[in-house]
Amino acid sequence: MTLLALERATRRFGTGAAAITAVDDVSLAVDRGEALCIVGESGCGKTTTGKMLAGLLRPSAGRLLFEGQDVWGGPRELFARFRRSVQLVHQDPYASLNPTRTVLQTLETPILRHRTRDRRVARATALELLEMVGLTPAPDMAAKYPHQLSGGQRQRVAIARALTVEPRAIVADEAVSMVDVSIRISLLDLLHGLATEFGVATVLITHDLAVARYFGREGRVAVMYLGRVVELAATEALVEDPAHPYTAALVGAVPEADPEITRGKTRVKLRSAEAPSLSALPSGCSFHPRCPLMEPGLCDVQVPELLPLPGTRDVACHVAVRERTPAAELLGAR
Amino acid sequence: MTAPVLAVDDLSVEYPTRRGPARAVREVSFTVSRGETLAIIGESGSGKTTLAVALIGLSRAAHVTSGRILYTAADGSTEDVRTMEPDELRRWRWRECAMVFQAALNSFNPVLTIWDQFLDTARAHGMRDARQVRDRARELLDLVHLDAGRVLRAYPHELSGGMRQRVCIAVALLLRPQLVIFDEPTTALDILTQRAIIDLLRDLRAKLGFATIFISHDLSLAAELADRVLTMYAGRAVERASVSDLFYRPRHPYSVGLLRAVPRVSGALGSVASIPGSPPDLVRLPHGCTYHPRCPLVIDACKREEPALIPVDTPEHDARCIRWKAVAELVGTERRAVAEKLA
Repeated sequence: MTLLALERATRRFGTGAAAITAVDDVSLAVDRGEALCIVGESGCGKTTTGKMLAGLLRPSAGRLLFEGQDVWGGPRELFARFRRSVQLVHQDPYASLNPTRTVLQTLETPILRHRTRDRRVARATALELLEMVGLTPAPDMAAKYPHQLSGGQRQRVAIARALTVEPRAIVADEAVSMVDVSIRISLLDLLHGLATEFGVATVLITHDLAVARYFGREGRVAVMYLGRVVELAATEALVEDPAHPYTAALVGAVPEADPEITRGKTRVKLRSAEAPSLSALPSGCSFHPRCPLMEPGLCDVQVPELLPLPGTRDVACHVAVRERTPAAELLGAR
Repeated sequence: MTAPVLAVDDLSVEYPTRRGPARAVREVSFTVSRGETLAIIGESGSGKTTLAVALIGLSRAAHVTSGRILYTAADGSTEDVRTMEPDELRRWRWRECAMVFQAALNSFNPVLTIWDQFLDTARAHGMRDARQVRDRARELLDLVHLDAGRVLRAYPHELSGGMRQRVCIAVALLLRPQLVIFDEPTTALDILTQRAIIDLLRDLRAKLGFATIFISHDLSLAAELADRVLTMYAGRAVERASVSDLFYRPRHPYSVGLLRAVPRVSGALGSVASIPGSPPDLVRLPHGCTYHPRCPLVIDACKREEPALIPVDTPEHDARCIRWKAVAELVGTERRAVAEKLA
């Protein structure tokens, strides 16, 4: 069942000549307990999309739906319920925790505000949450200040804080990119477990394709490019046989921790190395100036819709959809 | 056999702290041959950047407490970087050994154009003829695939992250160094930009023949470019191996842990897992092997004495682990990713 959805959402920043469209006509839906990934390079609109999903930015056009109801157009009670139900975990655990408050204080405040007035119950709940996110022994961890914790431990506190209000969905924006490689997997496992064990829908936003593949291994990945979703597919299909030429280029380009695989990769040769600026978006498909499958008169004129291909995937590419074939195969990059 | 361009011998570096010295680098030894690429890998806090900064004599807060850094010039003369006079050291840097730092924006003076940055560096190293500098700058920008006409007039903030990193590389090559040290050269860059920088570095290395040291937490960079890899943990070199031995036949449990911690996009996902615990306090290092509190293969003997670097499998491969045979049994010798073999 769809829990949270963006429906043809667009977000513009600035006005007049300086206006840019950071997210353009994006539709994404997350089911209860689903682990969805949004990947893309810097400036693709993934963070703006995450903020719209979490209700921190209002779409300039389009709607945000929570349990089928319009969050921004509905009654105040709906918005209040939505706010509690959807939590955001930020990238930087050094900036997102108050340095003057202990872990216990950080966790207790929202519990006392939203769940109970009884301090003893609040404290017990906080300790339970610490156990749940793997910060043990919980009473010792509860007494610490953020500066006494490592980056990974801080990120666990941030996740525990998000859980204090018993959310139905968590949006995690680059939640592992600032912690050491050696412990990223355990944090991803923690977030993944929230989805699979407790039914908390989790949207992970990342620039790291390998992280998306691992986190979304049973789910779906949305690939964004210059404000649009260009591919939305089951994760394994996406990495094995990318449908959009941009996804194919990413998969072929990403360096891998395996000398033979990484040195022997089939690359997609792009027509241009530089990404266009959001303030001067190309006509038609915004990938057309770089795309090796570009067809003049089609790709530079018409904006492609996200349409289904055979298999569990949608792609916004005129050529792949017409040929009913993933771009990776058309490019011989498989 | 010709002498390696760099031979580091028992190098130790400490930071003074209120609680006593933090031993960031302890008795690290390695060599880099002419044209060779060495990657130094490890978590943050493993000592890799401290080591790199010490190599070029730029340590400020840190003290190099022992060891030698022997540099052999193209004419065959060898000298210890540690005993160079300040003037001599300044000449040696950039002319013989250049360093490219992470986050290329901080490497520039924001109020100078790229041309001025080139000129500054050139003048500091005795190139007085501006026309000669301009020709060389154009040649180098061409080499890193930038439009010299446009880039030389630009200020750093006008360039993208990838372009700035290319400029840094070009400036590093200004005086034709024999050795270039890169500290996290692709961190914080987008995938397609990372790929372009990696391909560029491979290409430049082949054309110009300089030796390279990469410092990175990113194992994929080592997999892409390294001939040999050195794994650091808590200031120690814990494993030294060829790139294929390190990735397919690691013999130190920490190398295995690092390899398993990084998921892949291509090929089987395998058994991916984080390393439990966190790196040790460098002021109060654990007794015995410093990795023992996190090691899945720990036995009592590991807690008693710190193991030496001992040869494993081949003479070119050594590991600081008394349990290396147990590691070998686990990961075997097949040319497949460790996470895949442990699945």
